[in-house]
Amino acid sequence: MNSPKGKIEPLDQIPSGIPGLDTILRGGFLRAGITIIQGVPGAGKTILGNQLCYNHVANGGKAIYVTLLAESHARMMLHMSQLSFFNADLVPERLYLISAFRVLEESGLKGLQDLLRREIQKHGATVVVLDGLVAAEESATSAREFKKFIHELQTQASLTDCTIFLLTGAGSRPVAPEHTMVDGILELKSENVGRRTERVLVAHKMRGVDVLRGHHAMRITAGGMEVFPRIEAVIGDPDTPPAHVTRALSSGLPVLDRITGGGFPQGSTTLLVGAVGVGKTTLGLQFLSQCTADAPGVMLSFYDGPAALLTKAGNLGLNFADAVAQHAVEIIWQPITEGQLDEICDRFLRIVRLKKAKRVFIDGIGGLSRIAGDQDRLARVLAALNIEFQLRGVTAIYTAESDLSAAIHGKPFDGLSLQGVSSVAHNIVLMRYVELRSELHRMISVLKVRSARIDSGLHLYTMGPKGIEIEDDTAGAARILHALESSGSSARVLDA
Amino acid sequence: MASVLVVDDEFGITEVLDALLTDAGHHVRRAINGRQALELVHEQRPDLILLDMMMPIMDGPTTLKAIRSDPQSASTPVILMSSLPPDKVVKMVDQAFESILTKPFRAKDAIEAINTALTGSA
Repeated sequence: MNSPKGKIEPLDQIPSGIPGLDTILRGGFLRAGITIIQGVPGAGKTILGNQLCYNHVANGGKAIYVTLLAESHARMMLHMSQLSFFNADLVPERLYLISAFRVLEESGLKGLQDLLRREIQKHGATVVVLDGLVAAEESATSAREFKKFIHELQTQASLTDCTIFLLTGAGSRPVAPEHTMVDGILELKSENVGRRTERVLVAHKMRGVDVLRGHHAMRITAGGMEVFPRIEAVIGDPDTPPAHVTRALSSGLPVLDRITGGGFPQGSTTLLVGAVGVGKTTLGLQFLSQCTADAPGVMLSFYDGPAALLTKAGNLGLNFADAVAQHAVEIIWQPITEGQLDEICDRFLRIVRLKKAKRVFIDGIGGLSRIAGDQDRLARVLAALNIEFQLRGVTAIYTAESDLSAAIHGKPFDGLSLQGVSSVAHNIVLMRYVELRSELHRMISVLKVRSARIDSGLHLYTMGPKGIEIEDDTAGAARILHALESSGSSARVLDA
Repeated sequence: MASVLVVDDEFGITEVLDALLTDAGHHVRRAINGRQALELVHEQRPDLILLDMMMPIMDGPTTLKAIRSDPQSASTPVILMSSLPPDKVVKMVDQAFESILTKPFRAKDAIEAINTALTGSA
C-alpha cells in the first residue's frame, strides 16, 4: 500500500515465534488477516495452533482457542502440557479455550459468527484459532453460505484487529473457494524419503508477502514445532555476490600448500576425493588442527563420532584434541540413520555463524547424499553452502568417496565419481591407492585450485605418527608408476 | 433420584455426563454456557450443578457468583469442572463450591464427587 508521500509502507505482520516459520513468512502472519492451516490428522495443526497462541500471549497478546468437533480441551491441554511452550499460568486470563460446536449445531454459521464476535470483544483477543473448520463447512447449507461466513470473518478480523487462524483437514479440492478469500494458506504434510517419513510445511499463500516457496522440513519435539526453511532458498540467493579473495589458508601440510599454489584460497571449497581408508578424514583433521580461538573451525561428521575422531587424531600425532578442548574446533556428529537435510544444514550453519568459523570440514558428502535422497537437490544445497562460505570467508573441505581403484595409466580419473559434485568445488584434490606387487602405496594430486598455479604431479604420501607426510617431489610416485607399467599390471582394480 | 444441571460448552462432556447420570437414575438438564444455565436454574432449582470454568457468553466464575447471589439457588451444591490445575481454579472463584473435578476425569471419580455432594446437601 502506498502512503500519501508515495512511500511503500511495510506490511503489519505478527511473528509466529516459531523458529524458521517467520523466515518463510518473511516476518510473520498478516496482522488482522485470516490464515488457513490445513493438513491430514496428525500433521501437527493443533500443536501449531496452540504454539501460535502461547507464543502470542507470552508476548502480551490475548488469544482464544475455539474448538468445533476437535480434541477435548482437557486432552488437548494434557498433550500441550508436555511441550515447553505450554504455560498453564496464561490460561484463562490471556488464553481462553471454548467449544463452539453446540452453538454451531443449534444456531448454524450465523450463531458461530456471533459467538466469535462477542468472545473476541469480551476477551480483547488479538489472536483466534478456530480448530475444526471442516465442521463449519459441513454445517453450511450451501457453498455460498460458507463463503459468506469466511467473508464476514475477514471483515470481523479487520474491524477488531484480530488475527484469525482456521485449522482444517487436507482439502479434497486443490483450490477450495475459501482458499481464494483468505490471506494466507499453510499446509502441513508428510513425505516419504525412502522408508522414512518426514514432516514438511508448505506456504502456499500469504498476501503481500513473497514467501519462501517450496517444501520446508519441519519437526515436532518437546519444544513444539520447529521449521527448517529450504536451506538453498535462504542462503543461496544473496543480495550481493561474494567478493573474490586471493588470500590462501594453510592446509596444515606444507607440501600440499605448495602444490596447491600456496594453500586453499580463503572462502573456497575443496573436494577431497578418494577411496575408503586413503586418508581423507586424516587430511581434514590436519586442516582443522590449524584452528585457533581467533580462527575457529567446525566439523560435520557423518561417520566417526567425536571420541573416535579424537583417538584417530591422537594416533596421528595431531593437536586436534587441544583445538577441541580449547573450543577452537567444534564437532557435530550426525549419524546417517536419521535426520533431515535442512535441519542438519541449519544446525551446522548456526554453529558456523555463532563461532565465526574460518574453517569447516564436512566428512563427507556421501552422508549428506544419503540423507538428502534427492541428488539434484544435494548439488543445489552444496552450491548454496559454497555461497554462504564464500560470503563469510570460510574455507571448506568436503570429502567424497570414490571407488577402490588403482591409478590407470592414461586414465587417471577412472573410478572416481566426480560427476555431480565436482561442479560445486573450487578445488579438487585426489587421493588414491596404487598397488604394486604386495604393497599398497598412496598418492595425492591436485586437479584444480581456484585462481592458482598448481603442481598437478602425483606425490607419494604416508600416514604415520605425524599424520600425512607428502613427498616434496614426484620422483617416488613416478618410480612406482614406472614399475607398475613395467610389470604389466597397470589397471589393477582392488575390489572389483 | 436427583435433578442435576450439567453446564459445559464441550459437546462430549455434556453428552457423556448426561448418559452417566441418567443411567445412575438422575434427571439431567444441560446448558452450554452460564447464561443458559441461569435460565434453567430459574425455571427449576436443581439439586446439584456441575459447572465448567471456561465457556463462551458467561464463564464459570461469573455463573457461580450469580447462582450464589440468588437466594433461590444460593445453597445449591456446585461441583466445578476444569482442565486447569485445582489451585488455579480456586483462585478464579470467590464463592463456595463443593469440589473440583479436574478434566479429563474418570466416571467413577465423577460419580463419587456427585454422590458426596448430593449426600452432603440432603
